[in-house]
Amino acid sequence: MPRCVTFLLFTACLLARPLAGQTQVSGVRDLSFGIVIAGVPATVAPGDPVKSGQFYLRYVTGGRARVRLTLPATLNRVGGGGTMPISFRNGDAFVLGTAPGSVPSSFNPGGLLNYRFTGSADANIYLGGRVTPAAATASGNYTAPVVLTATFF
Amino acid sequence: MSNSMKYAVALAAAMSLTAVSAEAQSGNINAKATVLAPITIAQGAELDFGNVLPGVNKSVAAASGATAGRFDLTGVTGANVNVSFTLPANLASGANTLPIGSWDGCHNTIANQAGCTGFTPSAGTTSANFVAGALYVYVGGTVSPAGLQPAGLYQANVTLNAAYF
Repeated sequence: MPRCVTFLLFTACLLARPLAGQTQVSGVRDLSFGIVIAGVPATVAPGDPVKSGQFYLRYVTGGRARVRLTLPATLNRVGGGGTMPISFRNGDAFVLGTAPGSVPSSFNPGGLLNYRFTGSADANIYLGGRVTPAAATASGNYTAPVVLTATFF
Repeated sequence: MSNSMKYAVALAAAMSLTAVSAEAQSGNINAKATVLAPITIAQGAELDFGNVLPGVNKSVAAASGATAGRFDLTGVTGANVNVSFTLPANLASGANTLPIGSWDGCHNTIANQAGCTGFTPSAGTTSANFVAGALYVYVGGTVSPAGLQPAGLYQANVTLNAAYF
């Protein structure tokens, strides 16, 4: 195969992928329920400015991303000795671009989000949820990771 | 353009269209909560002004009065707690009322008024700590009977609210 053809193929492959450094996904803020009382469910709204979880995404204006959240079903007691259910419903998450006038768009954090970067190259995703501690839940700190995976197009 | 070149160009074009991004990135946060056992509140003693005379104010001191009211709270050892009250403006005996002029409070981690920390129940929220898993809150006050205060048994509810913070 001529050298120019090889170069052409290589270039085509490069052009089809986002450039390194062009994309960014990072966790900004934990989803924090704070103090919850054993036996008393607690909810955090995705719009809570302090307690909601937050991720930051950056790509290019006009680009698209497919976003998937890996959500825990339980929080685990730090040091062991117990778990506590955590659940998420449709509307417990929303995405908001950073361009002026951007409108939040709610989605089900348990599903896939297809997002187009409109008006700006970055966006934030906010996450709420609910915990339902049993009356016999042991006192202590509980935690579990939430992972956001974004594929950029 | 040779045939092989045309084929390569077509292939490259097809790849650019179909080779969607493999650029996947992840970010992490934590979901977290602190579980505490519920606070319990029990009535330890009623605030009792005893016999009062018309036109003569009578006080019960929270920090020393033998008939001061007391609430007994339990909570998680070491946890902070906010305490507030729902206080009546008057004691009532049927349609007659007996004004409560002021309120007095103090709290301690043991069931003893000696050395308790004073506060004003009507001033809002007071913060304390379940140092040893218990908190005792004492309540006093002053009633101000009118000169023609009708005789009778006057009473009203005093409610304590507590929440971790």
